[in-house]
Amino acid sequence: MSDAMLRLDGLVRHFDDVHAVDGVSFSVDRGKVLGFIGPNGAGKTTTMRILATLDTPQGGDARIGGYSVVDQPEKVRRITGFMPDYAGVYANTTVAEYLDFFARAHDLRGGDRRTAVENIIEFMGIGDLRDRLVESLSKGLKQRVALGRAIVHDPGLLILDEPAANLDPRARIEFRTLVRELAADGKTILLSSHILSELSEMCDTVAVIEHGKILATGTVQEILKGLRPRRILSVRLAGPHGGLERFLLEQPGVVSVHEAGGRVQFELDGGDEEQVSLVGGLVAAGFPVLEFSAHDAGLEDLFIEITGGRAQ
Amino acid sequence: MSGAGRLLDRLERASDLLSPIVVKEVRQIVRGREFVSAFGATLVAGLAIAFFSAADAVSGSGTAGRWAFGALMSCLAVLGLAIVPLGAFNALRIERLEQTLELITLTALTPRRVVIGKLLAQAVKLVTLFAAMAPFIAMSFLLGGIDFLTILLLLAILFIGSLWMSSAALFLSSLLKSRAMVGLAFAGGILVLFFVFGVGRGLMFYLSRGVFTLGPVFGIGFTDPWWALAALTTFCLATMVNLVLLAENRLALAAPNRVTPLRVGFLVQFLLIVAWALSFIKTPATVRPEAVMMLGVLGGLHLALVAMFAVTEDLVVARPPVGSRRRLLGPFYPGGGRGALYVLAQMAILMGAAWLLEPEPVLMRWLLAICGYICFFTGVPTIAVRALRPEGTASLRLRVAIFVLLPVSLLLPDILYYVLWRPEAMDLSYAARHLFNPIRTLANWPLVESVEWSTVPFALGVLGVLAYLGLSHLGRQVTVEMVSTAPQAARAEAGDPGSAGALY
Repeated sequence: MSDAMLRLDGLVRHFDDVHAVDGVSFSVDRGKVLGFIGPNGAGKTTTMRILATLDTPQGGDARIGGYSVVDQPEKVRRITGFMPDYAGVYANTTVAEYLDFFARAHDLRGGDRRTAVENIIEFMGIGDLRDRLVESLSKGLKQRVALGRAIVHDPGLLILDEPAANLDPRARIEFRTLVRELAADGKTILLSSHILSELSEMCDTVAVIEHGKILATGTVQEILKGLRPRRILSVRLAGPHGGLERFLLEQPGVVSVHEAGGRVQFELDGGDEEQVSLVGGLVAAGFPVLEFSAHDAGLEDLFIEITGGRAQ
Repeated sequence: MSGAGRLLDRLERASDLLSPIVVKEVRQIVRGREFVSAFGATLVAGLAIAFFSAADAVSGSGTAGRWAFGALMSCLAVLGLAIVPLGAFNALRIERLEQTLELITLTALTPRRVVIGKLLAQAVKLVTLFAAMAPFIAMSFLLGGIDFLTILLLLAILFIGSLWMSSAALFLSSLLKSRAMVGLAFAGGILVLFFVFGVGRGLMFYLSRGVFTLGPVFGIGFTDPWWALAALTTFCLATMVNLVLLAENRLALAAPNRVTPLRVGFLVQFLLIVAWALSFIKTPATVRPEAVMMLGVLGGLHLALVAMFAVTEDLVVARPPVGSRRRLLGPFYPGGGRGALYVLAQMAILMGAAWLLEPEPVLMRWLLAICGYICFFTGVPTIAVRALRPEGTASLRLRVAIFVLLPVSLLLPDILYYVLWRPEAMDLSYAARHLFNPIRTLANWPLVESVEWSTVPFALGVLGVLAYLGLSHLGRQVTVEMVSTAPQAARAEAGDPGSAGALY
């Protein structure tokens, strides 16, 4: 039996004639990080807002920790932290007061509240900012404080909508570290991002959405395996490539041979054994092999493969 | 830990008893430029008034206190009726603009707690500003010319008035988001302020003479200021509760039923109006007709507003009530044409209360005409649209249509008359063409009866009541069909989150 913290079941949300979310179903196990990717307007934010109980689906349901977002929104809110794509800060409020307010708003009282705020300040590494006004912080620091706000009540599920948007590279790295630490702490995380390279380093699995429909879910490698049954390999010789293309085409399982960027790239329909035998064959045939590599497909390849490379 | 540290720690622990919104708002308010400026200006104004009144007192008139208190009250009125409500308006507007309200919605705080918290925070601000003026007010009393009771009453009235204005500002703020609408609201607010200042001057006049008159138009008055204050406070509190419920209704997400608390709140407000009218039951027979007229005007206005929203509600709602709750509290639940029954029940109460006051039959017919016009103008357009498209037309469009229909009925007969008949002289006197104009007809009721034109308003009223009953029947039919055919369809009609009007 799976240990799903989040389970979406045929979620539907239409805005007039626009099918923002059209029968979305997937699940995320406890302690896992799922990256939610798709082009602009694909339905990521709408789905996340429904999960955060800010919107109501017109069909289907989603369960967080066993609670329905439609019928038990109050219980869902207790175990869910949501960080939208805006900072949501207050004027004339210090960092400590900001976190303190949200702790109070989550019905934390007395010692529990103070401990929760102190823990968050320590975890986020913002101890020296506690008396600074939130509005005066940089984007990266505001993002940190916002993440602190989202987890001040110690939720089991964290929903992060474009958390790394508008952050500089250093802030992104820091943010990535925080997310990994939260996941290591056992929190289930659902996050969307435009920066696919960031996601691939943070996520255990991904869900690709377009036009409100889920196109694929699973690990990047699993999805790519489903999309591309053949391996993409390339060879670089120490000398000219004369005869290499012809040799490769004569080998069993090799297709789509072409030269690109000083190397010959091709696809191999087979597993490790076939790959080893091919390398041996090349060397035995006297080709001066300088480099033989497999193309390590990432999230960007997956995204382009599935969505046809439309704008993110 | 030092003594001060221990005190702060104890206060911090005690703050757990307060609403989180109050704690946050007060923290923001005391750091805000607006509060610091208002507080500073209050002190400067207080000092200036104290200086001039002291100079006046030297002349030995013995009435310098009255002038000083009047001037201080003017300052407090600006703070209480303008600065504080404006602060309430901005507090919620900024929360919506910056989308922090969404973040609060995700916590354990309900929209009602948010609105009440913001109102209480403004009360704290007001008390602080009053406290700044307290020494100067005490001085005005010592200078003579004004008694302690008047001071106390006026401060209490101003405090209640300020809270009422703040709750109205919060409601407005929950309605408006665009800058243009905010501008319009402020223009309206300024007009209201002029009106309030006019009323305030009247209050001062009456109170300074020990007589408080609630209904100068009708000649009904209270000679006991405490009774007057109690009546005013009760009415203000009832309307404040409803304003808070309305604001909550606007801010709430789509899922919960936000209509039932509102209907209960507005029924209580209506019952207070009725109770106030019935308090004249033992007065001489010459006074009671005025109470009936007051009941007609206040109750009629109340019912017209309530009918505009309750009768035009969507017939199909997300979660229809089921079981015994439905039978017991049916009219308080949204959808299914229950709004029409809710209004009809209040009309029956209005007529019953009027009958207990034993008025002349003409007054009873006048009240019937009021109810008839309300039924006609809200019921007939609604049933016409709903019969054609029971689930299709949004309530908002219907309400706008009715809102347009009323001024059309007021102006069109005259416009048509002058365009088609081209009379030589402008004739503004009441005539048969004005029978579709409820305001003029009701204002000229004795004339309407004397020339036997009352059949028309009654016929319109019968049409209206039939429309209400038709709506109730149609609503029941639609609900039964919806439940039996597609339970999911109800959710599909949910509309946009946060748009209360679209849902209920």
